[in-house]
Amino acid sequence: MSRLPPSSTERIDRSRTVGFRWCGRALEGFEGDTVASALWGAGIRTFSRSFEYHRPRGLYDLEGEGSSQLVSIDGVPNQSAGTTPLREGMEVGAQNVRGDPRFDVFGLLDRLDRFMPAGFYYRLFHRPAWAARFFQERMRGLAGLGVLRLDVPDRGARAERYLHADVAVVGGGPAGISAALEAGRLGLRVCLFERRPWLGGHLDWRVRDGRPLAGEVSALAGELERIKSVRVFRHAPVTGIWGENLLTGFQCPGTGSRTDSGTAAAFDETHWECRARAVVVATGSIERPLVFEHNDRPGLMQVDTAIRLARTYGVRPGTAAAFSVGDDLGLEAALDLASLGVDVRVVADARREGHDQALVAALVGAGIDFRRGWAASRVRGRSRMSRVELAARTTTGSGSGATVGSAAGGAGDSLRVACDLLVASAGRQPDIGVLSCAGARFRHGEHTRTFELERLPPDVFAAGGVLRLTDLEALTSSGRIAGLEAAAACGADVAGALARERPRLADLPGPARGSSIVRGPVAERRLAPGRKAFLDFDEDGTWKNAAQSAAYAFDVPELAKRFGNFGLGPGQYRVPGQNLAMAMAEIAGRPVGSFAATTVRPPVIPPSLATLAGPNHDIHKRTPLHDDQALRGAVFRRAGPWLRARYFSADRECLEEIRNVRENVGLLDSSPLGKFRIWGPDALRALQRVYVSDMTRTRPGRCTYSAMCNDTGNIIDDGVVVRTGEDEFYFTTSSNRAGATVEWLRFHTRYDGWDYNLVNLTDAFASINLAGPNARGVLEKITDAELSDEAFPYLGCREIEVGDGVAARCLRLGFVGELSYELHVRASHARYVWDLLWEAGAEYGIRPFGLEAQNCLRAEKGHVIIGTESEQRVTLLDIGMGWLWDREDTASGKVGAAALRYCEGQSGRLKLVGLRVDDPAGDAGGGTARNVAHRPADGALVVDGDRIAGFVCTTRHSETLGWQYGLALVEERLAERGRSLDLYESLGRRTVRSTATVVPPHFHDPKGQRLRIAPEGRPRRSGEAPSQPAPAAHRRSPVRFDAAPARTEHRAGWNVVLDYESDRAPTDVMRQAGLVDLSHRARWDVQNRDIGTVRPFGLDVPARPGEVAVRDGLMINRMNGTQASVWHVGPGAAPAMPDGPHYTDTTDSHCWLALLGDAVPEVLESVTGLDLFEPGRARPFLTQGPVLHVPCQIVTWRADAVLLAFSRGYGQTLVEALLESGRHAGLRPAGERVFTDWIHALEG
Amino acid sequence: MTFRLTCPVCGKRDVYEFTYGGPERGPRPAEADPGSGLEAAVGSDPAVAAEAHFRWAQFRMNRPEPQEEWWHHGAGCGVWFSTWRDPATNREAPPGGAEAGGHEAGGRDSS
Ligand SMILES: [Zn+2]
Repeated sequence: MSRLPPSSTERIDRSRTVGFRWCGRALEGFEGDTVASALWGAGIRTFSRSFEYHRPRGLYDLEGEGSSQLVSIDGVPNQSAGTTPLREGMEVGAQNVRGDPRFDVFGLLDRLDRFMPAGFYYRLFHRPAWAARFFQERMRGLAGLGVLRLDVPDRGARAERYLHADVAVVGGGPAGISAALEAGRLGLRVCLFERRPWLGGHLDWRVRDGRPLAGEVSALAGELERIKSVRVFRHAPVTGIWGENLLTGFQCPGTGSRTDSGTAAAFDETHWECRARAVVVATGSIERPLVFEHNDRPGLMQVDTAIRLARTYGVRPGTAAAFSVGDDLGLEAALDLASLGVDVRVVADARREGHDQALVAALVGAGIDFRRGWAASRVRGRSRMSRVELAARTTTGSGSGATVGSAAGGAGDSLRVACDLLVASAGRQPDIGVLSCAGARFRHGEHTRTFELERLPPDVFAAGGVLRLTDLEALTSSGRIAGLEAAAACGADVAGALARERPRLADLPGPARGSSIVRGPVAERRLAPGRKAFLDFDEDGTWKNAAQSAAYAFDVPELAKRFGNFGLGPGQYRVPGQNLAMAMAEIAGRPVGSFAATTVRPPVIPPSLATLAGPNHDIHKRTPLHDDQALRGAVFRRAGPWLRARYFSADRECLEEIRNVRENVGLLDSSPLGKFRIWGPDALRALQRVYVSDMTRTRPGRCTYSAMCNDTGNIIDDGVVVRTGEDEFYFTTSSNRAGATVEWLRFHTRYDGWDYNLVNLTDAFASINLAGPNARGVLEKITDAELSDEAFPYLGCREIEVGDGVAARCLRLGFVGELSYELHVRASHARYVWDLLWEAGAEYGIRPFGLEAQNCLRAEKGHVIIGTESEQRVTLLDIGMGWLWDREDTASGKVGAAALRYCEGQSGRLKLVGLRVDDPAGDAGGGTARNVAHRPADGALVVDGDRIAGFVCTTRHSETLGWQYGLALVEERLAERGRSLDLYESLGRRTVRSTATVVPPHFHDPKGQRLRIAPEGRPRRSGEAPSQPAPAAHRRSPVRFDAAPARTEHRAGWNVVLDYESDRAPTDVMRQAGLVDLSHRARWDVQNRDIGTVRPFGLDVPARPGEVAVRDGLMINRMNGTQASVWHVGPGAAPAMPDGPHYTDTTDSHCWLALLGDAVPEVLESVTGLDLFEPGRARPFLTQGPVLHVPCQIVTWRADAVLLAFSRGYGQTLVEALLESGRHAGLRPAGERVFTDWIHALEG
Repeated sequence: MTFRLTCPVCGKRDVYEFTYGGPERGPRPAEADPGSGLEAAVGSDPAVAAEAHFRWAQFRMNRPEPQEEWWHHGAGCGVWFSTWRDPATNREAPPGGAEAGGHEAGGRDSS
């Protein structure tokens, strides 16, 4: 191993070796190594092959600035070797290689470059048409980066973190640390992000006159760590700054310090976002490559790469070295490497003047051949460097592409040096990526010869090396100024401090003079110069390609960038960086200042896609009957936010499920149905506005069916409305619309100032459909209510009691075309009622049915599903539901009425028709034999000659009917009964044509007799069931923890877990974080226009939204102008809900959780971007916003206690996601006692 | 694209908590049905009434300048409110230096 003697700057632990494999070979590195330093230390020189020419590439940089150092790790491609910490057992592989990276079989592509000029791919292979695909396939086999292996599972934990800062600082060098200190000392919330695993920037590895410079900032960094309001994130690159100072980035956890580096899994990454009021960008500077022939050979590296290999990792970068540099840092590095025993044979500096004379004297004193105005012109050797040619530059100033008379021998103006290391750099450029993303503007400066900051976006400040400052005092001073300016942007009074600091900086050395060289000297006699002089290593973009771009008139950097693919690879803007502008200037003979800097786009440092995808929790709503349906074999599917049972058997046509409903009795969980309570003096007017029918005719005990349209008359929703009081109604919406209903009503009444209140009870009530001829027989076994057709007719609505006195709102409807009862019961009671029905139906052989069976049953009946039998061209009238519309009402301003009136007389519209699919086998007699004809798929086209004239919405085979039926939307002229329709489908490469006949769209029981009068069902299997007392009612929480209860208590039907076994774990849950399910505790919604006059439980509602009051064991949260929620937090039994229309029991609407313990802030910042711990805000306070994308009411009580309420359906999946996201902070389930103890301590 | 909006109840929040309700265009024009005998504000000519309604329902100006528009804080307090915003910059931009905000309507989805 080529390691140097230990030095004080190194960050490896030589006592701990780490074994890994490189292309199958066992190698060793040290704890603290990166993959790149370990490989180089083990003598590996070629890491990969290049994108296009398959040239061998080695270690150019350690910052992921290009694709050269990309490797595959454990089967995952495109990992940055320079920034990935080495881990025991890693399988590291070379990229873009067939065979060994040293002897790649495609290496000959390097000789074919003359056939691959810039843009050749697009210019050559587009004609004839087949050529593009033919060549594309072949090219893609050869070019590209890495191989994505689908057989390798994604590894590593992905997490998210949402941060809030007054001041965010990007970069932890001397300037960034100083800025963070200034803001932090003022007590502002500061987040500092440093992409490397340690602070200090370039001072971390620099040694000058034998003295490490790290000491210059270690005291400042130490102070920073001690300020409570300052958070430092190491190994946390910033990927971009977005609108209103939202910073994004990622962090590799576990690599933050010398002690724990390397212990985290290599693929663990955290995506973070930080919303900051002000930002300080102190990203420093990066190197600019020197462009000359074969400037990409392994053994050629940046100044910082060479010095960091030696100083950070103790790795000898080479034995014999040549330097071709453009600034003092290069000279300093040469001296330092020489002091470490590297044989530095020559140091060429492209500058003729402006050197640090002390460094020059030291170089000369050390006997090193130092040459002013010289630069490298060519590298010899392929996979290993053998020799470097250097030459004198013949001109000064901007024209750097000077020629040299002769490159032969060592005569006068040129030199050949045998070496295995060339440290090459044209100079430094500011690292402007993050600033450019933020919207900063740049202008080329003659002194710095870089693109300098011209204009900063609001509340963004810059400091340090990014301003091209190099003097250490100036770096820290500019950092302090930027930190103070950022603090001022946050409202701090820092005028005095700024007035003191600004003159200080003015007296310190300003921005450094930059170097103008971009290209090394070129020998005159050389043919086609620039063929192998790379501006961009990622995509093999050469000087020649840049010249070709210019020749095609793509002669400004923005155009050349795209035409020649410069800077579009993983290195992003960093390579070629401003070299592209400088090269285009030289090629086009224009000043660099006439170009604009190319815009940098995020991510400036690429995270893995898996990190962007995040933890990817599967958060959805589950009905209270989910678990039981799963046990009964349900196959679930997502429908909107809900997971719903689709089938209960392997038969995808659900013939048994359908037959059972038609002939016997079935159970359907329809809980996602939207359910709402609306009340108030103007409630009826609001309903009149959104429903097309005359809603004044709604009456108690009766379901009124109606529909909602949008402003263009498209039907968007349907459901039933029941009057439940003088000014009070209960209504249902389709499941898909439930979430938007409140919004819809409020939107369409927003100008009216009407006084009505609305509560969404969708999650609060489960809905169970009991359907089939035997439905009544089952229901009457669990209720004493009168169910005769006279007492409870079709479309009736009754409040009944089932089982042990459980309240149920029962609606007699017939969506599936049979006698059916829809039971709306409290979600917590749903399982109890469901079990009662199973018990009662056992003697009938009751079965569940799912969405697909329901879809067939309703289609046989000719009932439409909105979105299936309707679309945006189709109005209420077109689908034959115009009878719902109260066309005489022009006073209510019904939504869609104007459009319906306009369309009334129109011809040529699409109309909904029934279909009977023709059976070519001749089974037209309606027999029961299985129709074997092809069934047109849902969505098949209806064609008229060569025109599309409609489409098939739904087709199914009906056992009930004995033929294939369907619903279709067709042009009006084709809609007449008996008309034959041509259907067309394209199934892959096959087209299938079939025919169907138009029939009325009511196939099953068109007169609706089966809905109204129950036909004789199948006789009961056994005798009369013995009447037994109903089992005791119980209520269930939506949450079930995967933990063992230790102590439970029965309370008002709930089974409350007081302690889990894990509550007795050695670490007290309050030292970490506990998640307590409080769903069994009572909650109420209070709504009133004059909510201040409502005094729930004799308590005052807080005056302003967001305020929270706690008294007498009740917490009152003011939500908005008209609404508050009341939560029972205290000990003892909850009080009864007060009388009065303002109150709604929402205990079953929400899942209610308490998060308790010291790590609560850490847990919450992993799951929500809301600022729940804003300093200085009076607690408790209410925040309404998303947690893991689920809208929540959140009460921040104290830093160690947060209450969370959200839609009950999300309960289980959100809890699982919370536990997963909070695991790093020790979050675990906890019993109610943890909550009551906390309350007790609060009161005590 | 990321920007924030100021909810009159909750304060500044990320735009993805809101749904867009279109530019402010005034209340729905009254309908005039020749059969109803109602004299609507737009006159009794049904063609004029239809035209007025469709202009209101369908036409948007789409000018790159500050406009008053409606937003619904669906992931938060559930309030509809109007605010001034410049679609060219995506930033809230009160017209003529006036205070942004506007009026609030309605309550939160309780589920
Ligand atoms: Zn809000």
